[in-house]
Amino acid sequence: MNALEIEGISKKFGDFYAVKKLSFEIPQGIIYGLLGPNGAGKTTTIRMAMNIIIPDEGSIRILNQRMDEAMKERIGYLPEDRGLYPKMKVGELLLFLTEIKGLKKMKARGEIDFWLKRFDLSDWKNKKVEELSRGMQQKLQFIVTVIHKPELIILDEPFAGLDPVNTKLLKDIMLEMKQVGGTIIFSTHRMEQVEMICDNICLINKAERVLEGNLSQIKKQYGKNTVILDYEGEADFIQDFPEVEKIDDYGKFMEIRLKEQADPKTLLPKLVGKIGINKFEIREPTLNAIFIDKVGETNEKDTVSH
Amino acid sequence: MRKILSVIKREYIQIVRTKGFIIGTILGPVLMAALIGIPILAQVISVGEQETIGVVDISREVFADFEKKLDHKLKDGRRQYILKEYKPSADITALREKLRNEVLDKSLAAYIFIPKDIAEGGEAEYVSEHVTDFEELKDIHGSLNYVVIEKRLRKEGLDPQKIGQYIQPVRLTSVKATKKGEERDTGGTFIYSYVLVLILYITLFFYGAIIMRGVIEEKSSRVIEVILSSLKPFQLMVGKILGIGAVGLTQYTIWALFGIVAFKYNKSLLPGFLQGGDFSLPSIPVYIFIYFVIFFILGYFLYATLYAAVGSMVNSEKEAQQLLFPISMFLIIPMLLMIFIMRSPNSTFAVVLSMIPFFAPILMLLRVCVLLPPVVQLGGSIIILVLTIILMIWIVAKIYRVGILMYGKPPKLREIVKWIGYK
Repeated sequence: MNALEIEGISKKFGDFYAVKKLSFEIPQGIIYGLLGPNGAGKTTTIRMAMNIIIPDEGSIRILNQRMDEAMKERIGYLPEDRGLYPKMKVGELLLFLTEIKGLKKMKARGEIDFWLKRFDLSDWKNKKVEELSRGMQQKLQFIVTVIHKPELIILDEPFAGLDPVNTKLLKDIMLEMKQVGGTIIFSTHRMEQVEMICDNICLINKAERVLEGNLSQIKKQYGKNTVILDYEGEADFIQDFPEVEKIDDYGKFMEIRLKEQADPKTLLPKLVGKIGINKFEIREPTLNAIFIDKVGETNEKDTVSH
Repeated sequence: MRKILSVIKREYIQIVRTKGFIIGTILGPVLMAALIGIPILAQVISVGEQETIGVVDISREVFADFEKKLDHKLKDGRRQYILKEYKPSADITALREKLRNEVLDKSLAAYIFIPKDIAEGGEAEYVSEHVTDFEELKDIHGSLNYVVIEKRLRKEGLDPQKIGQYIQPVRLTSVKATKKGEERDTGGTFIYSYVLVLILYITLFFYGAIIMRGVIEEKSSRVIEVILSSLKPFQLMVGKILGIGAVGLTQYTIWALFGIVAFKYNKSLLPGFLQGGDFSLPSIPVYIFIYFVIFFILGYFLYATLYAAVGSMVNSEKEAQQLLFPISMFLIIPMLLMIFIMRSPNSTFAVVLSMIPFFAPILMLLRVCVLLPPVVQLGGSIIILVLTIILMIWIVAKIYRVGILMYGKPPKLREIVKWIGYK
């Protein structure tokens, strides 16, 4: 069964296509990464999946049903623009937000206490949201996303602005959900996170799908012709080697993509003695490299800086 | 529906609990009473001061009688005006110069110059540093007038007392015809009409602003998308409007209870104020309150949707000002026309204006207060209002849906029209 099926959806704002003929499927029980540079159409796609924006064309099926309002109760959503009512008390806010997710008051109260305790916020139940620190508000926002035990959670840029403690907390929630058969969709433009936890990905650029499928299969397609080099010294000369296709140099760390027929093993002897080598690894390209490759040189600066 | 109820409950509790609501509910009637009461009270309490007024009587035949006639008393029984006669010297100009200086150095409050030909139509002068004390001017003018006319009559050998009886003005009282019979009305209808319309006007403005602020808050705190992941924009909008409308009705109920209690147990206090003037408070027919509630509800729905639309289009209250201008005009124009409508509530002009939905709540209520309009007009305006509200909710829901997710500069009219067309 698929958790989400998106088929040929488009959304135009004026003359501008935010999303164009986009299709992908997300099997149940996996973590799915929706990737793309800023402004690619990720948020619009997610909002359409949440029925907040209606697509101009195409169809969306969630949990094997047409998306409708009742379905919202089975989905947890963490929007990119996070926020809560600043003047409401924590307990009241959670009660309101769970009520509109369709939970009965009695059940909601129990869940609220459980989650507040788990996230160490019990003492703050009768405080106003605006009195909480930023980190605590982030935790509160996670609670809002998962408190009604959704089968599917959709997270828009979930790791943006999180401190390391909350980043770990969120990652744990995601894995926990996956363990009990839930599906997690999240958008991001940070590749390390995707590489670590995603099963499948979809890469969007300029409103259109560029790449989609299982992450390890995608990487395999690119073959093992990438070298990760951890080095010391002056390594500029490497880019003059004939077998080198492309280099992504970080100063102490370098990702070298070789031409298709080249044998990565022949590279090592050429380097020995010229630079200090801490690590020489032959592997598939990093997602970052694939991303940059696919999205194109135009967006390179933008992406690397993040 | 259950979700809308949750929204209604949240809005209601959050507003009713604010200090603003509590203070406003208590202070509202106090302010209203103060607005009406303080000027009356000031008059009742202030004792006033004795004033010394210089008089130059060139005619030499008015002063004695004038002083006798101008015997207005202060509250403590002393004479209000002490007249000091200045015998006209040869050099009138020098005398007036001297008096003017005395007025300026405050040893005189004013001086009065009575010309030689005062009885033949000559013009007297009242000279003072401030000439806007109309009560005082009325006293002086009245007394001088009386004295001079009496002089003229005596000169012709007529009896001023008899003449006074002959020219006594005819008395006319306005009596309001009602189903229950006839009722003397000495301005009461005017006052309660004015007060009720004013309350409606202020509350429409006030609650509209609360709605708008709520929508802006949801946008600026970015909670909006979390809410929309559980319900439709339409549900949120309707819930908000109903919840805050319920707050309005609560406030009215509290005020009404205040009013009833104040009226029942403080009858001695209330008429104490009002009997100062020469009118009695007429009984306000119950149907007026029913129409008041009907027009509040209809007006509220109409304006609440407009304010919600504005709130959804902007990012801050400051940005909203410009968009609010036309809405404010819709509310202010009927207030400006109030006196006119009161004078001729059934004129074609009044009828047509009160059928325009944006003016209808205030103008129809006013017409109901002054003179119950024909059923066709009342029913017609209510139907037009209801239809307009339905149309507005339909349009605004579309604007709202797009607007609440828009950040950045407020949209132009052309874009708003485009939003309405979005799927």
